Amino acid sequence: MRTVFKNGRIIDPSQDLDLVGHVVVENAQVVACGPDVDISDATTVYDCTGLWITPGLVDMHVHLREPGEDYRETIKTGTRAAAAGGFTTICCLPNTTPPLDTPALIDFILDKSAAPDAGGVFVAPVGALTTVKDGQTRMANLASLKSAGIVAASDEGVPVQDANLMLHAMEYCRQLDLPIMAHCEDLSLSANGQINDGAISALLGLAGMPRTAEEVMVMRNCLLSLQTGCRVHILRVSSWGSVELIRQAKYLGAPVTAEVCPHHFCLTENDLGEFDTNFKTTPPLRTELDVDMILQGLSDGTIDAIASDHSPYAAHETRVPFDEAPFGCVGLETALGVTLTFVTHKGVLSPSETVRRLATAPSQILGLDAGTLKPETTALAQVTVIDPDVEWTFDVKKTFSRGKNSPFDGMNLKGKAVLTYCGTEIYRDALWDSARDHTTE
Amino acid sequence: MNRNLLAMRHLDVDDIQYLLAMAQMHKDNVEAGDYPAPPSVRRSVGLLFFENSTRTRVSFEKACHYLGYQPVNFSGDGSSMSKGETLRDTIFTLKHERLDALVMRHRSSGAANLAAEYFGGPTVNAGDGQHEHPTQALSDALTVLSRKGQIEGLNVAIVGDILHSRVARSDAWIFSKLGAHVRFVGPNTLVPSVMSGLPGSVHYDLKEGLDGADVVICLRLQRERMKGPHLSSSREYTKLYQVNRAALRVANPEAIVMHPGPMNRGVELDDATADGPQCAVLEQVTNGIFVRMAALQWALGDDRGDA
Repeated sequence: MRTVFKNGRIIDPSQDLDLVGHVVVENAQVVACGPDVDISDATTVYDCTGLWITPGLVDMHVHLREPGEDYRETIKTGTRAAAAGGFTTICCLPNTTPPLDTPALIDFILDKSAAPDAGGVFVAPVGALTTVKDGQTRMANLASLKSAGIVAASDEGVPVQDANLMLHAMEYCRQLDLPIMAHCEDLSLSANGQINDGAISALLGLAGMPRTAEEVMVMRNCLLSLQTGCRVHILRVSSWGSVELIRQAKYLGAPVTAEVCPHHFCLTENDLGEFDTNFKTTPPLRTELDVDMILQGLSDGTIDAIASDHSPYAAHETRVPFDEAPFGCVGLETALGVTLTFVTHKGVLSPSETVRRLATAPSQILGLDAGTLKPETTALAQVTVIDPDVEWTFDVKKTFSRGKNSPFDGMNLKGKAVLTYCGTEIYRDALWDSARDHTTE
Repeated sequence: MNRNLLAMRHLDVDDIQYLLAMAQMHKDNVEAGDYPAPPSVRRSVGLLFFENSTRTRVSFEKACHYLGYQPVNFSGDGSSMSKGETLRDTIFTLKHERLDALVMRHRSSGAANLAAEYFGGPTVNAGDGQHEHPTQALSDALTVLSRKGQIEGLNVAIVGDILHSRVARSDAWIFSKLGAHVRFVGPNTLVPSVMSGLPGSVHYDLKEGLDGADVVICLRLQRERMKGPHLSSSREYTKLYQVNRAALRVANPEAIVMHPGPMNRGVELDDATADGPQCAVLEQVTNGIFVRMAALQWALGDDRGDA
């Protein structure tokens, strides 16, 4: 079995590679990558002329909703959506029902994501940082969770308010060499808030969430990271102040990384329209200034990664008055297209830096077996073929995800993953021209 | 053709003036003992109140009575909403009860937009969260018109809890659209942090806000705010923001004082002002009936004889 991705633009920041060449996969592993490699005797050839060949994309922030919330999404539908979005490895966050705070639940995630009817992508579970025992919030059994296979611990959905608890969690995670993915929100400042505290919240009479609700916790967590040496990954930065604080923390030497979601670099509070709950996110959509500073943070490397924060909900949960609707939107099937349209094609990031934010960096931050096309490095070849210039209109009704709560429905985008490969072909887009591939037995 | 009355923000000046003229006509007719002829088609109007209301509900009922419409009452706690039904399903149900128009009050900002979408017919917002209360604004404008003869050029001060007030927003839109100068007056803690989207100037000092004011609209200070983090104490608030004779000294001597009700006497207003000749609170209540007659007819399209 020899598969060749032929004559594409290979963009692999892990090897500083950006050139036209071939990627050869043998027995499901990359064996050669470059312009002058032997592509004879291929069983399957994908002609990638004019297309990008990149490491399989990595989404470090996904809500798969299992266990307990399978009316919103399942591991099966979520992983299929991931494959369709060009992702070959995703992280599932722990705020499920019950939360991922015991090794048995980690086993459950790993088993289910490896099932033959799932999407064929790797799922790297993120464990719960804290758990509630006898009515008290305390650290979860992080060492056991790590043995079970978590790649990070997170307080996603239940942001740690007690600074002393966070300090000790960081000390312990430092010892375990486990990164913390931090949900930075001071709940006393964001209490009851629905959207960004600003002109639109005043206009619509919706309670505002001030940017400081995010920033004071970004600052606290950066300082605690500096003190403890624990690796801290700041989830979905939305405000210019957070970008600046992270820049300073990195300057001071804190082992801090950060991600941004596509909706935070191309939408603002002005896009909410008349109470459209698809635009209700936490942290909220903010202002043009925030978008500009986030793009600058992406450009100068302050923001390491782009992640979707894919948050599917059932229709009955979102067709309600705005303040009753949950926070979050789906994103697996738009993250790449929105990034290419609003970041890459606008010249904010080069193609290579784009792939770094979407594959190499998240993989390195969490130590995943992904994010590279380097021969014989990852256990299974993970390859995404991207048509960077194809123009398409996103139709949320046609997505694989169960959640249809997208702020991007109907948006015209430029660039899409047309083929996703994870040891085997796991997704082929309707835009992939079947004349491009042939298989000989 | 039917229409929705959801927010003053979206209404153009012609429609506002038309509604006020229609309300004035109803007022003249009713005061002359001359009710409008009942429409040739029988109309039923659903009054769906998820929040407590006395005056708004009664005045919609009274408006229906004068127009020959049949009001059908629903309340949030008495209906299936308390059994867990979603707003969407409740509205769909009312639609299939063959109601001709829907009037709704709800605790959530933007709920009126949803109601209009799901009901698919004439919908009138009777207050949605902290967003808008358009018929209250019409009533306030009609009251100012009858007392002052005009609105253009007047200084209108809206005093109190701007942040949480749907009346403040609807009043600001209607008075500014009709050419008045709107001022928002209140403590920094009860004024939204960014006011660039709302029409009016902001004043934290009552004296500055009332200087030369022709109309002073006091807003209700909800009891939970008095204990919450927004205020030091109701006593200090009263000292700084109560509209009373001393505070009104800087206003136009002919200034009128209004309040959407219910009043906290001794907090927003003192007794002397509430019971004095400047106070137009009870006219606001009566005018509420006539503007709601206009709003219902306009929404149903019954004002153009195409019923």
